[in-house]
Amino acid sequence: MTPLFALQAQTSAPAGKPTGTTEERGEVFKPVDGGNTMQSGEALLVEAYAAFWLVLFALIALGWRRQRQLDQRVGDLETAIDRARAAQESAEKKSA
Amino acid sequence: MTKRTQITPTDRASLAFYLLIAVTAAITVGAVHFIAFRAPTEATMGIVQKVFYFHVPSAYAMYLGATACFVGSAGYLAKGTRGWDALAKAGAETAVTMGLMVLISGPLWAAKAWGVYWTWDPRLTTSMLSVLIYVAYVVLRAFSGGGEAERKFAAALGVLGAANLPIIHFSVQKWGGNHPKVITKGGGGLQHPDMKTALMLGFLSFTLIAIVVLWQRARLELAASRLADAEQEAVELGLVEEGNP
Repeated sequence: MTPLFALQAQTSAPAGKPTGTTEERGEVFKPVDGGNTMQSGEALLVEAYAAFWLVLFALIALGWRRQRQLDQRVGDLETAIDRARAAQESAEKKSA
Repeated sequence: MTKRTQITPTDRASLAFYLLIAVTAAITVGAVHFIAFRAPTEATMGIVQKVFYFHVPSAYAMYLGATACFVGSAGYLAKGTRGWDALAKAGAETAVTMGLMVLISGPLWAAKAWGVYWTWDPRLTTSMLSVLIYVAYVVLRAFSGGGEAERKFAAALGVLGAANLPIIHFSVQKWGGNHPKVITKGGGGLQHPDMKTALMLGFLSFTLIAIVVLWQRARLELAASRLADAEQEAVELGLVEEGNP
């Protein structure tokens, strides 16, 4: 059975034989030509779509939570205000 | 005997809002499905080109948010009502959200197509400038307090900030640069009918998403205004202490 890392090395190594001696390869790391153009289009596409939904859902979820908190607070305050006004009116009637 | 509940205009608005969210979610899922499974892979760039079907509509949605901010700001400067101010703030927040999507998705596409994430191309630079203007608006509103002077200052920024929008649009035509001209060059750059359909679905779903975000943020702003009024009334009645609601 092929060990996991040996299998990975087989599939991800560039085509052709490695250049230089074993000693040179142990001392110098050379980048491949092309740099970022070697990036996987599939991974970039998934990253872009993930970013879309992350930004959007974060905004909507946070907004939803804040809306519920605000509605709760407004509701509590309006109930308290109505009670205070009713108490004030009954006190005024009694004193009159 | 059953008790009949009365449906208020607020309930109707909430119902319409939730209905809009459901329709938006359904159309967006349909658009993602079409883009993933029906739209063909582009010949030279490969699958990463599919970022385009959401990148361009999110840029357009940024314009929608910025336009709402401009209209709301101008309305607030003219009339001074909370509704216009809520529209302006919601518009700026929408513009920032959509602008972030543009600035994230564009470089991810560019990494494959150009070999670099970012270049100081006229359209990229003016787009980033526009997002920064709306970030400044949102930061100003978040940290400067809710006074009338601050609102008017922010409204002036909302009006002046819109000046950059036509510059973004025409920059690619006037100053050249690397940015593709698939849409602006007469719309003939998409050579397969399914590519055009995918883009149209992207535009439709992002128009609805922008409306949902605008509506939600405006509702939030109006609720915050109602809370401020209720807190003021509660202070006057002696229910809560001033500065400690």
